[in-house]
Amino acid sequence: MVEQETITEDEAALYDRQIRLWGLDAQRRVLLIGVRGLGAEVAKNIVLSGIKSLTLMDHSQITEEDASSQFLVNRADVGKNFDIVCATCCKPTDLIRINNICAQNAVKFFAGDVFGFYGYMFSDLGVHEYAEEVPKPKAKPTTEQDNGEPAVKKSKTEEEHETVTSMAFKRLKEALEMDWTTPDAVKKIKKTPNTYFIMKVLLKFMDKNERRPATTSREGDMEQLSTLRKQLLEDLKLKDDLLIEDFAENCFAELSPVCAIVGGVLGQEIIKAVSQKDAPHNNFFFYNGTDGGGLVDNIG
Amino acid sequence: MAASLNEKVRKTVNESKILVVGAGGIGCELLKNLVLTGFTDIEVIDLDTIDVSNLNRQFLFRKEHVGKSKAQVAKESAQKFNPDAKIISYHDSIMSPDYGVDFFQKFKVVMNALDNRAARNHVNRMCLAADIPLIESGTAENRTEETDLPVIKTSSFTLSMHDISSLIQGLTECYECQPKPTQKTFPGCTIRNTPSEPIHCIVWAKHLFNQLFGEEDPDQDVSPDTEDPELAGEAGQSALQTDAKDDAVVFTVNGNSMEKETTAYTSRPRSFTYLSASESAGIRDQKLWTIQECADVFSNCLPKLKAELSQQGEGGMLVWDKDDESAMDFVTAVANIRAYIFGIQTKTRFDIKSMAGNIIPAIATTNAIIAGLLVMEGLKILTGNIDKCRTVYLNRQPNPRKKLLVPCILDKPNPKCYVCSAKPEVTVILNTQKITVKVLEEKIIKGQLNMVAPDVEIDDGKENADKFLSDFGIKNGSRLKCDDFLQNYELNITIVHKRYTFSMK
Repeated sequence: MVEQETITEDEAALYDRQIRLWGLDAQRRVLLIGVRGLGAEVAKNIVLSGIKSLTLMDHSQITEEDASSQFLVNRADVGKNFDIVCATCCKPTDLIRINNICAQNAVKFFAGDVFGFYGYMFSDLGVHEYAEEVPKPKAKPTTEQDNGEPAVKKSKTEEEHETVTSMAFKRLKEALEMDWTTPDAVKKIKKTPNTYFIMKVLLKFMDKNERRPATTSREGDMEQLSTLRKQLLEDLKLKDDLLIEDFAENCFAELSPVCAIVGGVLGQEIIKAVSQKDAPHNNFFFYNGTDGGGLVDNIG
Repeated sequence: MAASLNEKVRKTVNESKILVVGAGGIGCELLKNLVLTGFTDIEVIDLDTIDVSNLNRQFLFRKEHVGKSKAQVAKESAQKFNPDAKIISYHDSIMSPDYGVDFFQKFKVVMNALDNRAARNHVNRMCLAADIPLIESGTAENRTEETDLPVIKTSSFTLSMHDISSLIQGLTECYECQPKPTQKTFPGCTIRNTPSEPIHCIVWAKHLFNQLFGEEDPDQDVSPDTEDPELAGEAGQSALQTDAKDDAVVFTVNGNSMEKETTAYTSRPRSFTYLSASESAGIRDQKLWTIQECADVFSNCLPKLKAELSQQGEGGMLVWDKDDESAMDFVTAVANIRAYIFGIQTKTRFDIKSMAGNIIPAIATTNAIIAGLLVMEGLKILTGNIDKCRTVYLNRQPNPRKKLLVPCILDKPNPKCYVCSAKPEVTVILNTQKITVKVLEEKIIKGQLNMVAPDVEIDDGKENADKFLSDFGIKNGSRLKCDDFLQNYELNITIVHKRYTFSMK
């Protein structure tokens, strides 16, 4: 499954806590696209986890939130050079394109973004195998023998055993273009995190304007977001209260603690994908800083 | 900075003075978040220095910082994110009398990023006394019955605070309103006579360390307990009488001098055959040592520890620390030798470090998420949205309602809380004829009730320390008034006398 690499005593001391959790498995190569607030958190988290190779890619100036039209993520590069790609701050057409390239090359794909108080993470790990430790039921120890002597309590050799599970993921395209008008979907709507719909509006905004909502054009952007919201509700035949109207006020820039929360979850999911340990979140995580909710859902 | 917040909130954030207690895993992340959110007036306190094992998650620290004050380095690193931020650091214990009610009253919010309950309890009381909202945080382990290793199931972030304006009783639960589960302890007879699991041997090894080099504690006796009913009769007696023929090694202790004496246990112990030391490859911490290797490590670390002890001069003692190499070697070797004798599985130094050091495999991402949540709750308090504050739990896997983060409404204060209620009361069950004034003060009032500088209304001068409570006329139903000047905390203790009680730990 994973190649065993040797690590030095120094590294063992440094990554003591990580080894306790993830084991000594070999490290993988990660490409991180977009290094703003969320990207920086993800980078910090996975570097701390001891990942050996991380490539950062960012086309934009630090100061201006400019158009992210031309992403030079080359098909061949992605497929050959990386095991995992994580894209932040990208518009949905780019995300879908990168996701598809990854899927063709069996590269694990992650996406995420933070808009003010809101944030999300998406993952497509293809068909993913992971190990989980399941505690064994404890055998009842016999405490007394016939002669009344306390019996030797058996020492425990194997307290847990590992199970390997396989899990299939959907493409981002399916998740974003899901038809919410079918009878099955209509039933699901009420239980779907509202942040999903907020994200859809924001992603639509990015596709349309080739940029994120910006504080420099706050008034105009809020108006446009409001229009996009209405349109989305109509298109999907959703009730008005499903998507609170004032979300637009809280979706500018990246709020640092929100980046920390979404970046923490995203970082942890990348570490899980690398180590192939523990069940991954399939396929969305949404954080809504206005109500404190952090939800995992499978959409698409 | 923080363009997500409206102007009014930004101004509040900019002007609010925040205290961060602890600059470890959560503390580092928290400082970064606070500075990036626009907080510019922060004070941070931590008594620890940086250890190499911190570097993998306490990201404000680098290799060259090892040995330096956590608070000081964290301050310097965090300040780089925003040079306009004014951060003050204290390399000190928050429980020191230097940080009284006046100190706490300077802050708008206090945020705890601590790793021990004693300090949490203390800060809780200081915030109650100073009437300052407190946000508590932590990561929890979950020891399952089936395993010896701690397993994280949930990492929790709890929030407790009380209304800034209310005077007598808080609006919400304080940290001590609900009793917390105590750390898992093992019955003395299991440790001393009938170990059956690796952890029993590890606890025994730690006790032995303390008996030899540390503070003497009668609760940590390591010799076989002859009064143990399980060993009554033949087994126990012969264990003490048989001589060396079984070759089982028992360590007996005379004061601070060490003698290795060979006696034998009758049940279970098997004979001590040296296995050939195979030079197996791999990291020293990760492979199982042979008994020969354990014996070698044992004889190597003994003189080192002895030298460390004698360096401290007369009356000095060592405090066991998982990060001290010799101390950790000692416990690994001793625990494995004992395990071997009793036919219990031996463990690697790595595993033993987990168990002996109660290491919770807290990881960078958990700390990052918790520290993010701390700031989100802080923003609610500062903007007057106290009704929106929540206790938030971070699950490892989403619950059936899809929640990975579970926000819970804050509970009302417990009217019978022994800390935050109007008239704090507590009942202590003990044997007044067996408990001395010193034990009452050290183990109960300080150790269990977590006072720092208690004043009890019995004459507790030094000459009385060894007298029993009954010598002062303290009997069943006696009420003691206990006052802690630093914590500004008064507690009435009702004594219930019971002749047979378990030893107070």
